[in-house]
Amino acid sequence: MPKDFKNKVREQFSRTAEGYVRDSGFSGGPDLEKALELLKPTTDDLVLDIACGGGHTALFFAPHVRSVVASDLTMQMLKKAQEYISEEGGVENVTFREADAEDLPFPAGAFTMLTCRIAPHHFTDVPRALREFHRVLRRHVGRMAIIDTLLPEDPEIADFYQSMEMMRDPTHVQAHTEKEWIEMVTDANFTVQETAIFSKTHEFGPWARRAGLDGNRLAELNQYFIDAPMKVHDYFEIETFAGEVESYTDRKLLIFATRDDKKAN
Amino acid sequence: MNISKELLDILACPQCKQPIEPDLDNQELVCKQCGLAFPIRDDIPVMLIDEARKLSQQG
Repeated sequence: MPKDFKNKVREQFSRTAEGYVRDSGFSGGPDLEKALELLKPTTDDLVLDIACGGGHTALFFAPHVRSVVASDLTMQMLKKAQEYISEEGGVENVTFREADAEDLPFPAGAFTMLTCRIAPHHFTDVPRALREFHRVLRRHVGRMAIIDTLLPEDPEIADFYQSMEMMRDPTHVQAHTEKEWIEMVTDANFTVQETAIFSKTHEFGPWARRAGLDGNRLAELNQYFIDAPMKVHDYFEIETFAGEVESYTDRKLLIFATRDDKKAN
Repeated sequence: MNISKELLDILACPQCKQPIEPDLDNQELVCKQCGLAFPIRDDIPVMLIDEARKLSQQG
């Protein structure tokens, strides 16, 4: 990851860490339940949670496995996650590492399970991160669940999505379509076993403010939503009242893949 | 330093991916091959290449 951009990500999430930890939209949810069902964790599993953010995914899986290493690029975020997990209590098997998803500080085959939730859209080089995920997962037993915002197939709706995310959060890089995800994960030598899509509704104000948006920029983003074409309003189920966006709904893609190490032809 | 043997076993240098060694005096994790020392802040190892201290050449 380029150093300047990495610093931008760290600055952004140091500033907004508290909001991410406290956001109830990240703890639990049907995507995590589905990931649990697919990954079938056991008390032998060594889990790596990449870009752990507020620690919600690490905490969700911790009671089911032997240990979880929660990694993130931002120290402030890790400290908040550590605080959150210790306050929530009940688990003693989560440890924290400040790490770059594209240069993981773990030996080959160190983990049996990997999770990465609502984070890859911040990565500058997803294929490189996926190669790292493959390297640190153990052959034959290694499996992973990646969850991220789904890029709509329609180019006009996709353009709106990319633009509005970048208006809100300067560290948003790129979301991907399901087809792109399957290609990238397969190219990293994983076998895609299953995908699932979930709708997630965001309360506009809290969602925008969580990324640190101020008054004027919030108003601009609000207007950008209001002025969007009808098909964008339909896709994102944008709810408005008296010129204010109240909520919108996007889709999260879950990719469940395994490290089988089949020989490429 | 709150780094157990098991946890050290699943840490490696982010650059060369080889094992690292604890330096208890300096609260660092050291990759001799790359000449990099990774700091530990509030018990959290900072395993970022850009944040590592470059070790001076010896001999």
